[in-house]
Amino acid sequence: MPDAEIIMIEGKKIRFSNPEKLLWPKAGIRKIDYLARMLELAPYILPHSKDRLLTSIRYPHGAGDESFFQKNAPEYAPEWVKTHTWNDTDYILLDSLPTLAWLVNLAALEFHTSFNTWQRENHPTSLVFDLDPSEGQRFEEAAEVALLVKETLDSLSVKGYVKTSGATGLQIYIPTGGRYDYNEARRINEFFGRYFSQKYPGKITIERMVEKRGARLYFDYLQMWQGKTIAMVYTPRATDHASISMPIGWDELEKGIRPEDFTLNNALERIKKKGDLFAPLLENPVQESLDSILKYAGLS
Amino acid sequence: MHTMWKGSVSFGLVNIPVKMFAATEDKDIRFKTLHKKCRTPIRQERVCPACNEKIGPDDLVRGFEYEPGRFVLIDDEDLEAIQPATAKTAEILDFVDLREIDPIYFDKSYYLAPQDNTGGKAYSLLCQAMKNTGRIAVAKITIRNKQSLAVIRVLDNILVLETIFYPDEVRPVSQVPGIPGDIRIEERELSMARQLIENLTSEFRPEKYRDEYREDLLELIRKKAEGKEIVTAPEAPQRNVVDLMAALQASLQQAQEMRKQGKEPPARQRAKKGKKEPVETG
Repeated sequence: MPDAEIIMIEGKKIRFSNPEKLLWPKAGIRKIDYLARMLELAPYILPHSKDRLLTSIRYPHGAGDESFFQKNAPEYAPEWVKTHTWNDTDYILLDSLPTLAWLVNLAALEFHTSFNTWQRENHPTSLVFDLDPSEGQRFEEAAEVALLVKETLDSLSVKGYVKTSGATGLQIYIPTGGRYDYNEARRINEFFGRYFSQKYPGKITIERMVEKRGARLYFDYLQMWQGKTIAMVYTPRATDHASISMPIGWDELEKGIRPEDFTLNNALERIKKKGDLFAPLLENPVQESLDSILKYAGLS
Repeated sequence: MHTMWKGSVSFGLVNIPVKMFAATEDKDIRFKTLHKKCRTPIRQERVCPACNEKIGPDDLVRGFEYEPGRFVLIDDEDLEAIQPATAKTAEILDFVDLREIDPIYFDKSYYLAPQDNTGGKAYSLLCQAMKNTGRIAVAKITIRNKQSLAVIRVLDNILVLETIFYPDEVRPVSQVPGIPGDIRIEERELSMARQLIENLTSEFRPEKYRDEYREDLLELIRKKAEGKEIVTAPEAPQRNVVDLMAALQASLQQAQEMRKQGKEPPARQRAKKGKKEPVETG
């Protein structure tokens, strides 16, 4: 195979270079394999990414080697790559197959998106709890805490959806329909964070100083800011296994899963079987119980 | 000692891998700043005055104010691009006499040690040669993105690196106000002053000088602590979130049951679609 060739996707010409380069050396995934997998997964990825500010992480020499964050669309971006300017940065909007293929060619292995859509820049569409095991903790401990969170959400008639981050932890999304601005969303999140750390002081901490966390799970409720991003649903991660940030059912979490169960190679088969478990988030459901929570958060 | 820089001293074709350690430390006593009313150590918060938002470390960018209110943004990549080639080396440019450099130029002192056994010989060689010739080296070094001029000299068989100010960083003496011009001094006065100096002349023994202010302060702190003259910070008051959550759960459940029975929930618990209830605070 030549070093570079022109591929045509939806009428757009993309120069695809080094197709044989190993992007996940330990999983044996070449660039050309990555492109094939991503084109298959695109129908599930694009609806979640199309209106959000994208930060991609590029690994020019593959996973495990040096990487850099790409927020600004580079000057050599084709003119059909759509962008949205916010805060002096030209963010790429990952809204089409050609854009996805072009990013694949740049060895963008991870896709992180904003909590808000570009159309409503001060309103995140979900509350997100990031459950990341502390050093020395196992994934199972994050899973246990996620189930405690789920129990509380049930008691409040609030629907939450969970996905693996693809790296070490879990993320719980509570769709809000964009009903709250960032300040309100953070207030609700803080209320939950303080509740969980007081209710389960041996298991959950909201302590920001790493050395004071001990063997407790860090409940990160502070992430939600304008301009911040989080690993999007279905993004591959630059891990040894080429794991994917995969939505999972609460029942699967109870039975026991591992983040590395879901990889670039087996994701499509699973999603075809289960459907897009994060599809309800796209409908922007309003959850009225959250209004009461926001009110109580104001009392704390 | 904590290594604060690793690199090499380059000297002609010879490279000596070295580690660098701070040679001096500041022993000032530090105080915490408390809220006068309740004795709680205050927390500094960064706030953007325009957005009225708290700012985290990831929300910051570096800007240079080239005219009031107008900035150019400089990111890490920009700085890396102009990172001088001396990033990991202290490149010796000249050898000079120590006496030629006025102490005003000296900024900070660091000890250099060879990185491993391989550098040991070249390190000793440079030490010995500088000792024999009585010369010190002028070098360029980059520490934390700042390129500095430095001298390397020998102290007790150890290489010491002193960063020195660039000439334009030393303010000219002509700017100092109130310096008298030519004033006639009587020979008699001069000889008296000289006599006084002779009488007070001794050897420099730094150990005989102490920081008396620090000692007095430590003593004061010790006395106050023993005399129980101590203030303590109360725990930051917090409403019990667990109780609030229980109340919240009960009220939501009640609303739900009423809905099931076909009754309207009390107005204050009903949320209208697309319109928020006013939020009570405090």
